[in-house]
Amino acid sequence: MQRQEVVFVDGVRTAFGRAGPQGLFWKTRADDMAVKVVRELLRRNPQIPPERIGDVIYAATAQVGDQGLTLGRDVALLAGLPQTVPGFAIDRMCAGALTAVTAGAGEIAYGSADIVLAGGVEHMGHHPMGEDVDFNPRFVAERLVDPSAVTMGATAENLHDRFPLITKDDADAFAVRSQQRAAAAWSNGVMRNTVVPMSVFTEGGWQVAERDEFLRPDTTLEAVASLRTPFRAGGRVTAGNSAGLTDGATACFLTAEETAAELGLEPKMRLFGFAFAGVEPELMGIGPIPATRRVLEQTGLTLDDVGLFELNEPFAVQVLTWCDGFGIDPEDSRLNPYGGAIACGHPLAATGVRLMSQLAYGFGERPDVRYGLTALCVGMGMGAALLWENLGAGH
Amino acid sequence: MAPVTEFKLARAGDVALVTIDNGEDWTKPTFFGEQALESLDRLLAELEGSDYSAALITGKPFFFAAGADITEFPDITSERAVEGARAGHELFGRLRGLPFPTVAAINGACLGGGVELALHCTARTVSSAVRHFAFPEVFLGLFPAWGGTQLLPRLVGPETAIKVIVSNPLRQNRMLTGPQVAELGIADRLLEPAEFVDESLAFARELAAHPLERPAPDWSEAETLFRRARTSVDDTVHGAAPAPYTALDLIEGAQTWTVEEGYSRERDAIGDLLPGPQAQASIYAFGLVEQRAKKHPARPTAAPAKVGKIGVVGAGLMARQIATLFLRRLELPIVIRDVKQEIVDEALADIRAEIDRQVAKGRYDDGKGRFLASLVSGTSDYDGFADCDFVLEAVFEELEIKKQVFAELEQVVGDECVLATNTSALSITDMAADLRRPERVAGMHFFNPVALMPLLEVVRAAETKDIALATVWHVGEKLRKRPILVNDAPGFVVNRVLTRMTRVIMDAVEHGTPVEEVDEAVMSLGMPMAPSVLLQMVGPRVANHVLERMHDAFPERFPLSPALAALADGSDPLLVEHAPRSREQIVDEVLEAVADEIHLLLEERVVSEAADVDTGLLLGAGWPFFLGGITKHLDQTGVSERLFGHTFAEMPQRVPAS
Repeated sequence: MQRQEVVFVDGVRTAFGRAGPQGLFWKTRADDMAVKVVRELLRRNPQIPPERIGDVIYAATAQVGDQGLTLGRDVALLAGLPQTVPGFAIDRMCAGALTAVTAGAGEIAYGSADIVLAGGVEHMGHHPMGEDVDFNPRFVAERLVDPSAVTMGATAENLHDRFPLITKDDADAFAVRSQQRAAAAWSNGVMRNTVVPMSVFTEGGWQVAERDEFLRPDTTLEAVASLRTPFRAGGRVTAGNSAGLTDGATACFLTAEETAAELGLEPKMRLFGFAFAGVEPELMGIGPIPATRRVLEQTGLTLDDVGLFELNEPFAVQVLTWCDGFGIDPEDSRLNPYGGAIACGHPLAATGVRLMSQLAYGFGERPDVRYGLTALCVGMGMGAALLWENLGAGH
Repeated sequence: MAPVTEFKLARAGDVALVTIDNGEDWTKPTFFGEQALESLDRLLAELEGSDYSAALITGKPFFFAAGADITEFPDITSERAVEGARAGHELFGRLRGLPFPTVAAINGACLGGGVELALHCTARTVSSAVRHFAFPEVFLGLFPAWGGTQLLPRLVGPETAIKVIVSNPLRQNRMLTGPQVAELGIADRLLEPAEFVDESLAFARELAAHPLERPAPDWSEAETLFRRARTSVDDTVHGAAPAPYTALDLIEGAQTWTVEEGYSRERDAIGDLLPGPQAQASIYAFGLVEQRAKKHPARPTAAPAKVGKIGVVGAGLMARQIATLFLRRLELPIVIRDVKQEIVDEALADIRAEIDRQVAKGRYDDGKGRFLASLVSGTSDYDGFADCDFVLEAVFEELEIKKQVFAELEQVVGDECVLATNTSALSITDMAADLRRPERVAGMHFFNPVALMPLLEVVRAAETKDIALATVWHVGEKLRKRPILVNDAPGFVVNRVLTRMTRVIMDAVEHGTPVEEVDEAVMSLGMPMAPSVLLQMVGPRVANHVLERMHDAFPERFPLSPALAALADGSDPLLVEHAPRSREQIVDEVLEAVADEIHLLLEERVVSEAADVDTGLLLGAGWPFFLGGITKHLDQTGVSERLFGHTFAEMPQRVPAS
């Protein structure tokens, strides 16, 4: 068995919808959303023989109902993949899809598979966060975690407490910029390249979900500043400077570098390294800082070597702590050039592959950039960071 | 009251995306009632002045549309029938006249008016998962009157149109699958279900850019086709139902008429047909068989006993059929008993051979076939009966033998075991009389051929307790039969009515009426089979045996038949007297005798409603929909009014339920 390099070939997502009865996907099943992106990926990459897919890895935070039944296998069968293709489900909350990719990368690197389909789906309308979770009473009795750790908005407020120099105004400004960048991205190629329209059945009959429902291209600083702070009186976290509850699905193809060459694929980037890290659960938003440090250490790179950053934006303050940690200007054009989750939404376990698809697109636009980073914070106090090498960079 | 269907419009780029939706899931069919047509009118008004480049019309998930709301049909006037057709012609005609291409995306069940809506579109896509695509109108004594008879032959030619509009409905309402719809050329694209709407939208965009070209329909063999089709309809309905003939005339006319002329002919014809007796009876029968029989008002409410193992006593032909059905539908251990081991062995071999045939047909894989075969065992004793929860006897029709079987069984089985009998004419009350626990005995009367006939008479004897009745009913449903509840009485329902009719027929034969004459008289009513053929199928001995039992119970109405007795002995039928009956006489006598017997069944409360008798005759004897079982026909023709001073439809008020 030969150790292999892992490349990212292509990634797509559904439009992201508002969770709940008013949202576009309310009457659509999570597994059907996953099937849609998988089939789109197969269609876009006809050189990949479906029977050679070595594994289908699907992430979901809630692994019940329409996200149950070991999703990867379920989705493989529903998408019409050969019965010989196996699959499984995986969970690391917000880093689900990202972990599906690292797990798949492990299979490829080890020579166990040449092609892996990895993705994530979260229908937060069908599966509100924390539903059916039975918290171990020891967490409270033994003060293992602060009670605020289980409410993500509260952990974001904690970040403001811990980083007093990051103000609500900073967060609001970041949020408005995210919306503006996303609006621009929808009028150029990136979203058309990475978002697949999907017919969905709704109260009003069939409609085509083709645009993210959280986009507010015309929003202003004044409008965002005036929103209420639901997590505490006099708080700083609002619906405007955080990502909404979202329904969405993503999927990507990873292959061994040699397989890509054999099949005539044009992979966009090579996985260069990855790291996960744990932090205080009530400050889960800082997780990407140690994760990023660790992956830089492992690969021997410095942050100056990295030319694009795709960071999740569950909360503006969360990204700002990372900027603070690495001395990056929040307005830096390398950071989330197409906007982020504040504008498009954050369907927990699905988000990781959105970051990668956008980074892959960004690499195409920026052949001068050699390395890029995708990173996320994770509930219960974790961070995840993946470093990618641009294969279009001519190095 | 059916939920209201709406045509909902959304914009998908430059394509109008229309959904036919009644706000319910796929278990509630989407019908085109009056309000639906008003909604379609509003939709068309919006589309007519729009800048769309194409429109796609599809259904809610798993359902396209089931067509007209037949609950609007009973007792409809000719004027309203014509108006209903006109409304459809006008609206669908406007759909057909839209200035951009339209695509029907057939994503699920598509019936009648649903098919017609699709035919008025420029093109059609169909999901490979569709299993119900049909014009069931002729089956209901109607024809597709919203342009179906005109547009289908124009699209795919007369041969396919005849098949879909006339032949399939007459073959137990056979339906088409998605792949067949595409194969026949009715749909232009067969698409996978997973992204059906997305891919249909892509097709609509393609169509907007590049119009389709279809070959012109082939009318060259029309004359032969229609002649053959009319002969084939004669063989099925013997001229007694006008719908298939009308449908053929209209399809044939499509060759020369304009579409507007065709619409107009459809309107004229539906005005005659829909209020007419055959259509009204068919709609009544459809309601009985498709709705009432599936949620029967007399369905026992008691919880059935849990059945984990089944015994069958008797290994004759009927017993083998029943045991095979048990095996296939229940997949439970079954033990078969007969007095002679060689008969048992033969029965086991027979049943296993049937399983092998199912494997050969691909219904089961080898492993499943082996599993099913392993479930059945046999004995010439009562070995293996002790732990049975349910035992059915199907031994020879002799009261003493059956009593003995039950007495022996009671020594072997547990106290809770339900005992059922497949007797066709013996008293179940008498059969159970000497048992320690007569309350566990109930009747379970199947019809021949067991695998095909959907009827089950579930019989309550004098002592039968609810749990036994509920168990028999429940097992019957699992066998996919449609039960009716009958109180113990000689011949129950179906055999009693059929035997009374047989007696009239034999009387005509005994008086010198040629058998062919008698056959033709009965066939002219629209009965599915000539009585002489039926008699050969049942066997004269069995028929005579049943008559003898009925004679024992009701000697006056069921005199013994020397002719039938002779046939039973293998001789020629005896002539009693030479006084041949005319065809009209035979028809009158048959109808009056049948009416009289049904009236008595109701007065004796053997069943609680005439609807049960009709259900029995439709599902157990194959009597045609267009007679409505028979009581609808007896009411329509005034027979019941003349004999009893009231119709059968009025009977429920006259005989209060117990």
